[in-house]
Amino acid sequence: MSSKQHELELLLLTMFSAVPLYGTAAISITPLIVFHVVMLLLVLRVATGHDPELIPLPLMRVLAVAYILFYIVDAAVISRSAIAASTHLVLFIAAYQPMEPVSRRKESQRLLTAALIFVASVATSTHIAIVPFVIAFAFLLFRELIHLSHADSVQTAGVSAAEPPSGRAAAFYVFGTTAIGILLFPMLPRVRNPFVPGFIGSLNNASTGLSDTINFNDQRTIANDATVVSRVWMGQEAIPFFTPLRLRGVIYEHFKNNIWHQGRRDLMSVSTRDGVSEIARGSGFSSRATVQQRFILGTRLFLPSGTYQVIGVPQIYEYPTRDIYTAWQSRGEVVNFDVRLAWSTNPLHVQRVSVTDYPVTPPVLAMARQIVGNETDPMKQAARIESYLSTHFQYVPDPSQLGARMNVDQFLLRVHRGHCEYFAAGMVALMTALDVPARIVGGFYGGKLNPLTGYFVVRREDAHAWVEVFDGNGWRTFDPTPPSLRPGNAQSGLLAAYASALSDSINYFWDRYILTFGLADQIALAIELISQTRSFLAGLNRSSRTAVSNLLTIRSLIALAIMVGLALITIWIVNRRRPAFEMLRDHLRARGIEVGPSMTMEEALIELRAKEPGVADALHPLIALYEEERFSEHSIAAREQIRRRLAELQASARA
Amino acid sequence: MSTVTGYRLPVTGDGPATGNRQPATFEFEGVVRLTRIGVSFVIFTVIIGFAAINTGNNALYIGLSFMLGCLLLSGVASKNGLQQLNVEFERVQEAWAGRPAEGKLRIANRSTVWNVRDVIVTSPELAAPIFIPILNRRSEVRVDASFLFAKRGIVQLKVIDLYTRYPFGFFFKKRRAKISGEVVVFPKLLDEHSERERFRPVDGDLHPSNRAGIGTDVHSFREYVRGDSWRHIYWKKSASLGRWIVKQTEVEAARAVQVVVDPFKPHGTSDDDFERMVSEATTFIYDALRRGLDVMLAMPRISLRARPGEPATAMFRALAVLEPVHEPVAQAIDRNAVVFAVRRSDELKTA
Repeated sequence: MSSKQHELELLLLTMFSAVPLYGTAAISITPLIVFHVVMLLLVLRVATGHDPELIPLPLMRVLAVAYILFYIVDAAVISRSAIAASTHLVLFIAAYQPMEPVSRRKESQRLLTAALIFVASVATSTHIAIVPFVIAFAFLLFRELIHLSHADSVQTAGVSAAEPPSGRAAAFYVFGTTAIGILLFPMLPRVRNPFVPGFIGSLNNASTGLSDTINFNDQRTIANDATVVSRVWMGQEAIPFFTPLRLRGVIYEHFKNNIWHQGRRDLMSVSTRDGVSEIARGSGFSSRATVQQRFILGTRLFLPSGTYQVIGVPQIYEYPTRDIYTAWQSRGEVVNFDVRLAWSTNPLHVQRVSVTDYPVTPPVLAMARQIVGNETDPMKQAARIESYLSTHFQYVPDPSQLGARMNVDQFLLRVHRGHCEYFAAGMVALMTALDVPARIVGGFYGGKLNPLTGYFVVRREDAHAWVEVFDGNGWRTFDPTPPSLRPGNAQSGLLAAYASALSDSINYFWDRYILTFGLADQIALAIELISQTRSFLAGLNRSSRTAVSNLLTIRSLIALAIMVGLALITIWIVNRRRPAFEMLRDHLRARGIEVGPSMTMEEALIELRAKEPGVADALHPLIALYEEERFSEHSIAAREQIRRRLAELQASARA
Repeated sequence: MSTVTGYRLPVTGDGPATGNRQPATFEFEGVVRLTRIGVSFVIFTVIIGFAAINTGNNALYIGLSFMLGCLLLSGVASKNGLQQLNVEFERVQEAWAGRPAEGKLRIANRSTVWNVRDVIVTSPELAAPIFIPILNRRSEVRVDASFLFAKRGIVQLKVIDLYTRYPFGFFFKKRRAKISGEVVVFPKLLDEHSERERFRPVDGDLHPSNRAGIGTDVHSFREYVRGDSWRHIYWKKSASLGRWIVKQTEVEAARAVQVVVDPFKPHGTSDDDFERMVSEATTFIYDALRRGLDVMLAMPRISLRARPGEPATAMFRALAVLEPVHEPVAQAIDRNAVVFAVRRSDELKTA
């Protein structure tokens, strides 16, 4: 590799190391673009035969000193994050090093900087797409390291020697490192620092189910986002009862200025016993389900409707509002846990609920009374309103199609068109008019069954809003949005569905066994291994006993004796047919003389003579005999003589 | 098998002519050294490990697994690579003490897995370390090696050191390989000018060659055999004996010098004195042969003769293995012989 080619490769490697940062959003895009532009200019300079000193050296050094101060400003004011500011700093160093002549020559430090950038990229990335980047980076890094190793060797030695090609070697070591890495990954201890916990902030202006409020003053925008929010596995018997899934994440129960707000509540811990957190009382059909959930709103849990127990999350808090739960754990992207679902759930404690503070107007009251007629049971009233809205109102999936902004009264009385939030808010307004406590629930709805893995996948685009009505004991779910038009019910072609299922299966494997692999998995793996080993040994023991008892029959013993006899005869024949060279070689080997492929018996004899002259004298006629047999024109039956004589020599040596 | 020319490395110290090579700066005892980049990598791995454990971030655990895998593989590759190298000493053409001697080493990589690169071969007997860029698995190379022996005598080559940084340069690994070889090192030849000038006046005496060949003096008679020239038939003797007799002439008498080396080492003289005496004798013989003189060497129980253009290996070998004796040895000394012996400073030196 020429020095120019090497410099180019090093620059490109550094550039490449920062590419995943675009996807992870660990830092903003502007410094990344600046970094890549600067590095690209350096590449162009080197490619055209210039030094990579883009900026004059004195100015560069001043900039380097100035950046130390800037780092503090960056961390405190601009990015407001030590991690982001540190990443900026490393990017600056990576660009500075090739421009400064002394640093440029320290290639190992430059590689280290590139590795640091790449680790920053990987640490903030959670998608499986990072894997090809890791492999490509490892390949380039290994090439550079092999080159550096060669350069160091020749420098130490003070010679100039051509470097052999290193592409195949690098690929070989990437393969080897990956194999060892895969073996090591599950074994590294997952002991997390308990002092680095955290709730992560909420999202503003997010789509339904994720935003802090439902603001009818602003027009909602919905983007198709196929990011998986949750995967839920449940037994076949539970599917008819609990699907389509409703993952509850936000409850809006206060209305003000045409905005629905969440209720406020202090942090309340949920009591946990043996890893089981009890959040409600279940009744009716019950089943267990396994959930893998991505944290998309802090560490808030999106629990399926009907959940009354959460298993496997160390600590849960009822936060930020009643009946909504958040996990207390260190920053992570995905969490795995089990839930117990029941057909009907009631709160653990008696709840005092009231109707919402929605300002009911006479036309809305009249509309509510007209819909329910003379029905007095609140649940039946809710069912009539749900049915009325879903059949008489038109669902508009894209809020931008609605045109002008409207409030809930306008939706109910005049427009009769809207998205799920209008349907839910309209129903809550009507229930409020009837003095029945009701609330809007935000979350995700639907879930497509992945036929390859047997779990239901819920994506961000499945965000939805529905209604819960209080029946005096607990909250019951109603959804006034027309069922066929709800977000989670979108249909796709067979091929697209299969491709989606396949892609999601791979993602699931990544999420489940890589991203969320934790201490509990390690313990489970260890227990599984111990159990497998035990059962294997027990099986071996059983089969050996059976084999021994089978062998102890006369027929088996006769067969065994015949086999042993045949084996001994075969060995005897093979031994008698062994070439004289091999016999002599083995004899010499026993004496500590290794007869190599390019060594003659004469040379071996000389070597033996230096060590053991007596033995060499005894062996000399045999070697002469061997050489006569090997090289003379006439045939000599020396092999038998040599074999016999060697046996005598060995016997005398033993004596 | 392929033949490569190893890159001979410069040596720190006084240089090859002064005798034993000084170890190069990179050489060390033990089997492994962590290089600077290796130290950086280990520190980096520890930091990533700490970060992974602190945060429980599995992405960092992936990085940590890779880095540990990289360290492990690097160690295994360099260790196994070196372990599978088999070094054999082939030969040395002609070895003189204090002078580089050209030889060959055969290095085989018996591994079925590992190619080994950037191998540096060192040994106290090598004039300079040898650099081998690559040794592919299951292959063998022959490399030119320059040996340097400090003293005359029979030298047993027993060990050779192999170093490599390959693959990633994290570790500098060393393996001491056993080899077996024996070299007879001829005595040191003294400096061209100062020493040889002392013997320049010695021209030697005419001495019968005792060999049949072209000449004028009669050497012997023998029976005619087919192919002999008719001109060599000695008619008078043939007639008297009744069969064909051929007269053989003797090669012209050559100028010869007789050298006597006395191995007696008196009390009060040092080993260096003895070695110097042997070197002087060797230098004298070497120079005489180059000047076209026949040399006859006499030592106790040994008498050897060498002629110009013929190998004088036996003579130099005898001088190489000459051991000092502590009792005077009686030797017949010709009047014109050049005698080399060690004498105390109060005795008169011969030659």
